[in-house]
Amino acid sequence: MSFELLFFISIAAGFVGAMSGMGGGVVLIPVLTLLGMDIKHAIAISIVSVIATSSGSASAYVRDHITNLKVGMFLEMFTIVGALVGAAITVVSAQGPLFFIFGLVLLGAWTALFLQRHHGWTPVAHQDKFSKWLQLEGKYYDQATGQTVEYRGARAYFGGPLMFGAGFIAGLLGIGAGALKVLIHDLVMGLPPKVSTTTSNLIIGVTALAGASVYLAAGLIDPGLAAPVILGILIGAFIATRLLVRLTNQKVRLFFLVVLAILGVEMILRGLGVI
Amino acid sequence: MIALEGTTARHEPSGGKRGGFDMEGLVGYILLIGVLLSMTLIAAGVIWHWLSTGRPGIAYSISGMNLFDFILAVTRQIFSGAFRPRLFVNLGIAVLMLTPYVRVFASVLYFAFVERNLKYTLFTSFVFSVLSYSLFLR
Repeated sequence: MSFELLFFISIAAGFVGAMSGMGGGVVLIPVLTLLGMDIKHAIAISIVSVIATSSGSASAYVRDHITNLKVGMFLEMFTIVGALVGAAITVVSAQGPLFFIFGLVLLGAWTALFLQRHHGWTPVAHQDKFSKWLQLEGKYYDQATGQTVEYRGARAYFGGPLMFGAGFIAGLLGIGAGALKVLIHDLVMGLPPKVSTTTSNLIIGVTALAGASVYLAAGLIDPGLAAPVILGILIGAFIATRLLVRLTNQKVRLFFLVVLAILGVEMILRGLGVI
Repeated sequence: MIALEGTTARHEPSGGKRGGFDMEGLVGYILLIGVLLSMTLIAAGVIWHWLSTGRPGIAYSISGMNLFDFILAVTRQIFSGAFRPRLFVNLGIAVLMLTPYVRVFASVLYFAFVERNLKYTLFTSFVFSVLSYSLFLR
């Protein structure tokens, strides 16, 4: 696959990924396999580029004092172990099941996007003893409202083990699995939306590194192919954030729903050996 | 006045006492510098290869090795004076992979010596040990 082709596909994937909040890997991996790349190589290259995009965006959020470092550090213990297990399975797995699981995750992302509602955030009324012991609380300054928001995290005993699952998916499929992490932060631990997205960004970098270490050791990371992908995804994501394009427009949202559905079904059919 | 209060609240540490040490700032800059340095190295390698051969694509792969062997191989190339475009690309990838690792190491030091928080020193040490094992020992 030529450098130019990889580079431009990656710019597009980075752009779409940042616009939709899904991350670049979700689009990149199916497209690379459609163009004939081996799915394991596509996964390995994608996870290295995930380190770049997540670290890049996390750097800005962390300095804005919105990310909760303690929540991040606690949950990382679970995601990195999950990512190591997931990546180790991919290395020895056959191609078919990987296509199939990837397709299922795409359809899961489709459902999440389809049902997306901007629900309000309800502060945790009663913090359990374990989460209190973990000191999972904080406050941040909300620029939009001009107020300091104080919050407490809860149900860390569920959040931790569920994060193992999110890390497992990330390592297995070479994606950030940010949407899954945000879901756990929001629904299980009761964190405010801004804190949950920014903290998930911080966790994604370390999780991707754990997965990448397995792929590097397995000889699946090809620097000649990784270079255009890393550069392209980061440039695409940068353009998207500069343009401040967000998934507010109904037509844009519909476009993603169609793309995700096609790629999801295509991956499942390939996984089953139908096409 | 309101704006002033806002600025103070924004820079107020969010998790208890920190001894005036801006951990978030440090983590943010580690990540930012790591990503920028890595992108510069990779881009330099690609552009150099492009200028010297007329094609941007560098076709090569590496056999399975851990990050330690990878960095060792890159360092050996630097000291033998073998400056080639692919050396820059390799260096860029090594820097990229070291970026979150350094961030975790800085967190261990922070929780151990600045915040003196035993719980979080143990948590971050666990993450650091698992990553060290996976990156350098397999």
